[in-house]
Amino acid sequence: MRITTRAKTQHPTLDTPAEQVNDAEGGTERPSRRSFFFFGALAAATLVPKAARAQAPSRKRRIVEKDPIDVAPEVAPTESVAAFAEWDSPLSRLVRRATLGITKAEVARANQLGWQGYLNYQLNYTRINDDAVEGVVAQKYPLLAQTSDLLFSASATDIRNQLTEGTIYRAAFSQRQLYHRMVEFWSDHFNQDLDKVGYLLVADQRDVIRKNALGRFPDLLKASAHSASMMAYLDQSASRNKAPNQNYAREIMELHTLGVDGGYTQNDVAELSRVLTGWTIQGRGTFVFNPAIHDWGSKVVLGVTIPAGSPSLGQDGIKEGEQMLDVLVNHPSTARFIATKMLRWLLTPDPTETQISTIASVYRATGGDIKAMIRAILNDTWLPAAPMKLKRPFHFLASALRSTVPTVTSLSPMNSQLTSLGHPIFSWDTPDGFPDKIEYWAGNIVPRWAFGTTMSNLNSATTLLVDTTTYRAGSPDAAVDLIDQNFFGGEMPLVTRTGLLSYIKAGTFTDARVRETIALAISANAFQWY
Amino acid sequence: MDDQHDADCGCEEYNELSRRQFLTASAGISAAALFPAWLPKIVMSKNYSSTRDIIVSIFQRGGADGLSLCVPFADPNYYTSRSTIAIPRPDSSATTKGINLDGFFMFPQAMTGGAAGTGGLMPAFAAKDLLIVHATGQLNNSRSHFDAQRYMEVGKPVDPSLVTGWLGRHLASIPPLNPSAPLRALGVASGLQKTLVGAPKTLPIADPTNYTIGGSATTQPQRVAFLQGDYAAADEPLHSAALDATNTVSLLKSVNFTGYVPANGAVYPNSSFGRALRSVAVLIKANVGIEAAQVDIGGWDTHSAEDPIAGSMFRTMQDFSNSIAAFYADVIATGSAVTLVSVSEFGRNVRENGSQGTDHGRGTVMFAMGKGIAGGRVLTKNWPGLAHEVLADGQDLQVTVDYRDILAEIVQNRLGNPNLGVVFPTWNPTMLGVTR
Repeated sequence: MRITTRAKTQHPTLDTPAEQVNDAEGGTERPSRRSFFFFGALAAATLVPKAARAQAPSRKRRIVEKDPIDVAPEVAPTESVAAFAEWDSPLSRLVRRATLGITKAEVARANQLGWQGYLNYQLNYTRINDDAVEGVVAQKYPLLAQTSDLLFSASATDIRNQLTEGTIYRAAFSQRQLYHRMVEFWSDHFNQDLDKVGYLLVADQRDVIRKNALGRFPDLLKASAHSASMMAYLDQSASRNKAPNQNYAREIMELHTLGVDGGYTQNDVAELSRVLTGWTIQGRGTFVFNPAIHDWGSKVVLGVTIPAGSPSLGQDGIKEGEQMLDVLVNHPSTARFIATKMLRWLLTPDPTETQISTIASVYRATGGDIKAMIRAILNDTWLPAAPMKLKRPFHFLASALRSTVPTVTSLSPMNSQLTSLGHPIFSWDTPDGFPDKIEYWAGNIVPRWAFGTTMSNLNSATTLLVDTTTYRAGSPDAAVDLIDQNFFGGEMPLVTRTGLLSYIKAGTFTDARVRETIALAISANAFQWY
Repeated sequence: MDDQHDADCGCEEYNELSRRQFLTASAGISAAALFPAWLPKIVMSKNYSSTRDIIVSIFQRGGADGLSLCVPFADPNYYTSRSTIAIPRPDSSATTKGINLDGFFMFPQAMTGGAAGTGGLMPAFAAKDLLIVHATGQLNNSRSHFDAQRYMEVGKPVDPSLVTGWLGRHLASIPPLNPSAPLRALGVASGLQKTLVGAPKTLPIADPTNYTIGGSATTQPQRVAFLQGDYAAADEPLHSAALDATNTVSLLKSVNFTGYVPANGAVYPNSSFGRALRSVAVLIKANVGIEAAQVDIGGWDTHSAEDPIAGSMFRTMQDFSNSIAAFYADVIATGSAVTLVSVSEFGRNVRENGSQGTDHGRGTVMFAMGKGIAGGRVLTKNWPGLAHEVLADGQDLQVTVDYRDILAEIVQNRLGNPNLGVVFPTWNPTMLGVTR
């Protein structure tokens, strides 16, 4: 079965009804207590920009030519990097942060809807018609819709390929761009290794991550805690009352909720692992509570006493763990931890204390409403002052697909490219997920350049086909202008424009030259940032 | 190099070396290539040694079970604590019995190439080139993989302001072995390991055998020229990475990886760890100025079904030992000035858990290998034992040797860098006779 689909991402309909856009959750038609607090948080946010700007770094790296006996403070490699001078449109900065790659079409949409309108449009993702993309995913990657019972018998290679390629396809071509940015974020937050959990991960991605990516954090955490895949990944399914396994109990506090400095002790880990005994898997991937392996003794976790129970309570034994999940999602450390991590993902590697406490207060006021937190983070004073971030390879690859708009018959070449780029999704083996740190990714630059070459030369009717006709239709100058529009949102830095013009004119204006110039655009410094 | 880090400035983690000064010290090489601007400024060591070993640093990620890697079979508590995953004593009749090292410790067969006990790491041990340090690790008691790895790689616990790694600071504080080398160190990884952060002219290279930007060979110089121009004003750390990368592409193109024949008939396992050590061996023998390599091996987080006799821990240990054994035969036994050292962030509980695995613990083992290593023994300092009442937190082998004591002695005596206050800030190492 071959489905040739011209991705429609580049040709959006801009007739989004205004009432849909304005129908934001927490909007004026529901003056609930939640939204009251939410607006309070936004009001607080408006007080911040001065502080944020004061900390905004200068454009260039600091080169300190000091007297050698001076001792300079250590400059962290996460030093904030201000945006290119050419990136002067605040709306385009919002598009870069809210998507997996700026395109002409998204810039036009943002210009039409304005800051809040565009943000609301992306946040209310269920109102964005994504049938075309979901239709392709359903046809090309049918395993992603199957139950664990059926997936049990599917080939592991098929599962890996469909999961990886389906994720790339959605990230690159879905209209629900901000949603997929958050799918990526939560997939790392609740990271699992496909090599360990196998087919179980399909249901986790679908029913935990994609279902709750823009929902409420408590729902997301609880869905994860009831996921067979997570139980397998962190050995919870192997824990027994006589000798509990501490893996999940530790990571749910360290990585999923409180953070490593969130105020728990090794004793809390041990006690929570006893609480969670019995949380396990039955059959081919059904989460169950098994009272026969539950530790019914009394426990104290994070100062909360859970009195001794007895096996006669049966299924009610799960309530001990449910109670602790509530304690975790309502813990102030969780609000701060999630706020900090989301700020780092969406705004800046180094959020200020004010930013953290502001977003943490949104978490607490809204019961962990992810949309409300994003709305407060991506405000039009913080974001224009925020430093650039380096695209991680998955983001880089998705943005190259969004800019080249290939005809996609199969994404299999992209699957292996992710591995070459050092970002094989679903294969990070430790539970902390792929890093979101520039010092981790910056050195691996040669594979990005090699990817640019590979991507620009894709000309296959059976996998991917990059059509260069429009680039060759006019002059070399027009080709570079088109690259500016398609790859840089019309804000290509001067040094890159000069370099590309020089390159494209240094040889005959052939298809090969054009493809090489596209490869260099993908390889360029400015294409690595967002 | 007028500055010197001396005892008087022990209160400070770094002294500063100006970029200009650094340039003077190594005339002819661009500043950015030598010393990325975003890195902390580190004083150069004055009394460094001009002859020194290349270091291959290994991180066993996940918290390696030292009690399976080097088993204290003479401690009866080992057998009572591990009812399903213990390895039989060397004097037992079991076919799966361990290989005696010194009457107290033994290797599992996974580490010796099988039951005969003559393969794997045994030749290096017998030649006194392999040292095993036991009940070692970090004094900090974090059981978080990520904190514990960070502390160990940084070389100092719980200091958020310290962002460089111990090996990075070593390289930053000693002039290059070969001043014209485009690449001083590599991490065989897709992202630079923390251990190497701060090292000048250092890149992560996941596969050194295939390090190219692809495309037409004819236009490649022009395309590289575009990249050099486009990244000339890039922000750090991308600027330095791009410059080092373009230079390293040319370097690695000149190295013949595919035609390489290891010495002594050594056979590297076709695992990611084995291939990584093979590539490092090729680079060492190519004599292109590589001074350090960081190589990782995962698979040590054995919470369930550990099975060091035939299961997952067996396979991980076998890959570890066979790969290092090949490197030993190929590189170290042939006399190359190379020291190899291996660490893990923590050990595992003495008592096995309910899933035939072990949870995060404290003390574990380290390995050091080289002609300059005083090997052929298991080094312990007041072996604490495995009796319940002496265990750390009632569950773990105590840490009696700080891992920095081992590394510091190697840095000073094998890597020729006396500047230990920079490499391991605020740590005053005890020399235990690790080196010859």
